[in-house]
Amino acid sequence: MIDWWTAVRFLHVTGAALWVGGQLLLTLVVLPLARRALPAEQRATVLTAVGRRFGRLTLLAFLPLQVATGVALAVQAGVTPAELAEPGYERTLAAKLILVTVAMLASAGHGILARRRPVLARAAATFALVCSLGIVFLATALAS
Amino acid sequence: MAGRPRGSWLVAANAVVLGWLAAVAGSVVLFDPLGLPDWLPVHMFLLGAVSSAILIWSEHFAVAVLHSHQPALWTRVARLAALNAGTLAVLVGRVAGVPALLAAGAVTVVAAVAGHMLLLWRLRRRALRGQLAGIVEYYLAAGVALLAGGTIGALLGTGVGGTGWHDRLFAAHVHLNVLGWVLLTVLGTLFMLWPVVLRTRIGAGTVAAMRWSLRLVGAGLAVAIAGMLAGLRPMAAAGLAGYLAGVAVAGRPLLSAARARAPRSGAAWQLAAAMGWLAVGVTADAVIVAVTPAAELHQRLAALGPVLLVGVIAQALLGSLAHLLPVAAGGGPQAVRSATSTMDRGWPVRLAALNLAVGLLAVPGLPGPVRVAGWWLAAVAVIDVVARAVWLLAGPAISRLTPQRRTGLGVAAGGIAGVVLTVLAVLVAGSGIAPTGATVGGTGVREVRVELGNLRITPSVLTVAEGVYLRLVVVNRDTQPHDLRLDSGQRTALLEAGEQATLDVGQVDHEISGWCTVAGHRAAGMTMQIRPGAGPAAPPAEAHHHDGLTIPQTPLDLAAPFSPGFTPYPAGLDPAPDATVHRVELRVTERELEVAPGTQQPMWTFGGTAPGPVLRGKVGDLFEITLHNDGSLGHGIDFHASALAPNGPMRTLAPGERLTYRFRATQAGIWLYHCSTAPVLHHVGNGMYGAVIIDPPDLPPVDREYVIVASELYLGQPGSPEQVAKLRAGTPDAWLFNGAAAGYTHNPLPAAAGERVRVWVLAVGPSSGVSFHVIGTRFDTVYKEGAWLLRPGSGRGGSQVLDLAAAQGGFVELTFPEPGDYPFVDHNLRHADAGAAGIFTVTGPGR
Repeated sequence: MIDWWTAVRFLHVTGAALWVGGQLLLTLVVLPLARRALPAEQRATVLTAVGRRFGRLTLLAFLPLQVATGVALAVQAGVTPAELAEPGYERTLAAKLILVTVAMLASAGHGILARRRPVLARAAATFALVCSLGIVFLATALAS
Repeated sequence: MAGRPRGSWLVAANAVVLGWLAAVAGSVVLFDPLGLPDWLPVHMFLLGAVSSAILIWSEHFAVAVLHSHQPALWTRVARLAALNAGTLAVLVGRVAGVPALLAAGAVTVVAAVAGHMLLLWRLRRRALRGQLAGIVEYYLAAGVALLAGGTIGALLGTGVGGTGWHDRLFAAHVHLNVLGWVLLTVLGTLFMLWPVVLRTRIGAGTVAAMRWSLRLVGAGLAVAIAGMLAGLRPMAAAGLAGYLAGVAVAGRPLLSAARARAPRSGAAWQLAAAMGWLAVGVTADAVIVAVTPAAELHQRLAALGPVLLVGVIAQALLGSLAHLLPVAAGGGPQAVRSATSTMDRGWPVRLAALNLAVGLLAVPGLPGPVRVAGWWLAAVAVIDVVARAVWLLAGPAISRLTPQRRTGLGVAAGGIAGVVLTVLAVLVAGSGIAPTGATVGGTGVREVRVELGNLRITPSVLTVAEGVYLRLVVVNRDTQPHDLRLDSGQRTALLEAGEQATLDVGQVDHEISGWCTVAGHRAAGMTMQIRPGAGPAAPPAEAHHHDGLTIPQTPLDLAAPFSPGFTPYPAGLDPAPDATVHRVELRVTERELEVAPGTQQPMWTFGGTAPGPVLRGKVGDLFEITLHNDGSLGHGIDFHASALAPNGPMRTLAPGERLTYRFRATQAGIWLYHCSTAPVLHHVGNGMYGAVIIDPPDLPPVDREYVIVASELYLGQPGSPEQVAKLRAGTPDAWLFNGAAAGYTHNPLPAAAGERVRVWVLAVGPSSGVSFHVIGTRFDTVYKEGAWLLRPGSGRGGSQVLDLAAAQGGFVELTFPEPGDYPFVDHNLRHADAGAAGIFTVTGPGR
């Protein structure tokens, strides 16, 4: 039951948990507290730093980890790129990949817009968070 | 202050239109690639977006041209709410397969429009009436069309119209709602809106043109609908020609307005393009209706859909909104000007995209990805307009919010967008799953999609876990009607192509069998099994039929007399008529026939006899056969003598339908015709066959001609498992000449000694051929499958048998040397022994 693929799957699930959990923590815990506890100018500095750090972690750690383990798992499941549109496992995976791409683009948009268009940036962040939950949902469907 | 309530009503009401438009654009992009039915986006667009816009704006214009008071707000809200609630009910009822909900929705839609008409009528009676008051008559006429078209839609959606009426009702529904409800409103509105958008005056001839145009389009549409319902194609085409003439009359003042002041704005160009497509679309529609039989209209009109829906209606709506929404948003001339430029920005690209999309979608035969690209283009153009409009209408309100509220709005918008995208992704992920064997796990209510088509039920085996409450969504994906009946008692209605129904199976604690009750389909393999728990896969149910079948132990008594009323099929053949065009009415009937002495069998026939009537002509003759399906099942026809694409002429006719099958006989021989409906084995085995004789050009005259059609007899209820098992095994109960076993043994065929006799022979099968032999004489001429194998005098050769495989044909010529009884048989003696035999009684010469 436990083999090397278990380890790969473990890394993939853990990475997803940390990324989605991190977003939830920022949105539900850090942001409201910062808004309440910190004065305006400090808040901006802190939140920008938090955002940068999370973005860097995503770009350097989570994203490469998820892509590498995800590709490995797909290969192990026998999925080829040509089959991605086929109903069932393949199409579910394709839908999940589209959601991943969109969520990543939205996260990048959040980082870029954070200073200039705060309302739009918040919208992008919420959007990315909801999409991330959708990704986890589809991942659950793939595992069943 | 007076402008505020009006403006805010228009803003709120148009938000509904914009919401529908966004939903339509999204579904169009999603539905086409997934191969889902196009019914949903079409009705979301026409019932949701367009009809809401019609209610809102026709009232707005009616108030303007009548110089009347604004109606009370509650009547506006009530009408729009009723229309939208009805629309939602129709959509959900259709998708979920709940006809009652669909019918209730249609009634609500019709009621909303009736209320709207009543309001317009009242406004018109009380008002001062401006120069363009005639526009309101267009709106009233459009409303009348919807009352009829919507009612017919409810009939279609609930299947009340039945199979026979489906094609006619469909044609009437489409034309009433598109050419009536939508395009009459568009046409009437253009008389006022077009000059306004062009920023010119209303021309001198406009009022007269309005009056004449409405008379022509109204009367034309009425005549066309009557023609469609009565099944009179020329009448329908004439009506549409009248409609087209009305459009042309309306075009004159519109054209002269454009000549006076050329279109400049995006709104103007979009309206201009919509008018262009309107002329193209209505002309094409008239031509299609004129040349297409009712049964094929559905398919042909589908090609016209993009032209009318995208080219005319979407474009007219978007163009109008681009002009009207800035006015509705209000805020003074400067604000309107700036809003107009917001809406208009990038219009050339949008115009090009929409019209390119129409081109890509309307040209037949383009590959799938091009069509998808067409839908994307159209959807993106619509989304662009919707986004601009939302920005325009919501922007001022948003800018008034506090920063905190704005952030909250951003979070809400992002969250909603994320939920929408996730739901779409989950829908995409779950689409297209149709395994042959499926397992339903979990607990609670589980819905399983069951597809009927290709004489299969998919999934054919369904294993259901304990504790699951099973619900089947049954969809007919075939071109012929099917249903699903379970031996636990539940059954669907007979579903037409594309229709669906829901069956509540409940908890599954024992094995349940399901099948299609259309005759022959169960035996052909349209069965399914629903099993409790997760058990090992057993062989499919049909396996039971193959083995252990019993051939009747008591063979037919062929020596017994036929009943007194029995008349043998006329074997004597008249020469080919001189006419070069042969028009034949052929009616499919299901009736009992005496097929062996004293044995009656329910048969499926062409023209009441099996074989059906012989059609005879010469090479080059034209045959025009009108086939009526008077039976209770789907039937069709396939003439082997013809050369044409089978798709149209050989299609299956539902009971009550008819088709005209036209072919030119270019090659000689005796050709089989037979029923073309699957399973052909059943239809041919139950009597649906006949002969077409095309004389070779140099066919010499003879003294006597006969035709013998050899076939097999399968006793038993047509389509019953027992009969089908025999058909499949190729073990008939008897072999027949001209539809009867030993028919000509009891009723011999006459001839005279010394006469030259020609006998045409056709082997029908469905399984065995024939070895035609006449005892006591020889053939000096043999013609088989278009070739002379033997002619007299050539090397003194002779022939004893004409051998034909199933569906082959030919003739032999012989002379009887002296008076006597000459049996003729299928010299495959098993066949002769079981009915394939008869007698020529030959008298003295010259009698």
